[in-house]
Amino acid sequence: MMNIILIVLFAYLFFSMIRVAIGPSVWDRLSGLNLVTTKIILVIVIFASINETTYLLDFAMIYALSGFIGTIFITLFLSNRNRRKLEEFKEDAETEQENE
Amino acid sequence: MLEYISFAIMGLGLIFMFFGIVGIMQPNKDFYYRLLVTCKIDTVGIITFFIGLAVRHGISFFTGKIVLILIIMLILNPLVTHMVARSAYRGGYVSKDELEKRKLR
Repeated sequence: MMNIILIVLFAYLFFSMIRVAIGPSVWDRLSGLNLVTTKIILVIVIFASINETTYLLDFAMIYALSGFIGTIFITLFLSNRNRRKLEEFKEDAETEQENE
Repeated sequence: MLEYISFAIMGLGLIFMFFGIVGIMQPNKDFYYRLLVTCKIDTVGIITFFIGLAVRHGISFFTGKIVLILIIMLILNPLVTHMVARSAYRGGYVSKDELEKRKLR
């Protein structure tokens, strides 16, 4: 019975990986990565529950912390990526309002 | 008996997560919309899932650790989604409807 849940979780993992592969922009991929991390944590917890062992849960805990914090640092790196695009966009908006 | 109750709750958690997957795979929706839907439904899915597991193991060392993981994920999941949305906005990812609003299409 628990294996069914595992199989379904792996199916979800596959679908969120599709979003990571397709994602037009980097940030789509990041949100897909966030989803993948969550699913992997659940898979680990299910394994721990099947084998009735508690030491696996420590892995899930550490993976949760490091995975999420890694994603946070990626977002920090990405936040000033195309800074110019945002400035150009703002300038166009201002010129638009002036000539209205 | 306890087994079936926990499977039912876990199945419910899986159904919630299915909506999360549907939410993220929507082609016509905007990026920020997909991000919001995914994070919210995903967090709910995690909560239901861990309740199902806690029911399965009763009061034990296992449930204690599960609660700890649940707390970590409840704090970190929205935090990461907020960071992604903030960096997307800061990085100049202009959403479609915002473009329509400014008539710059």
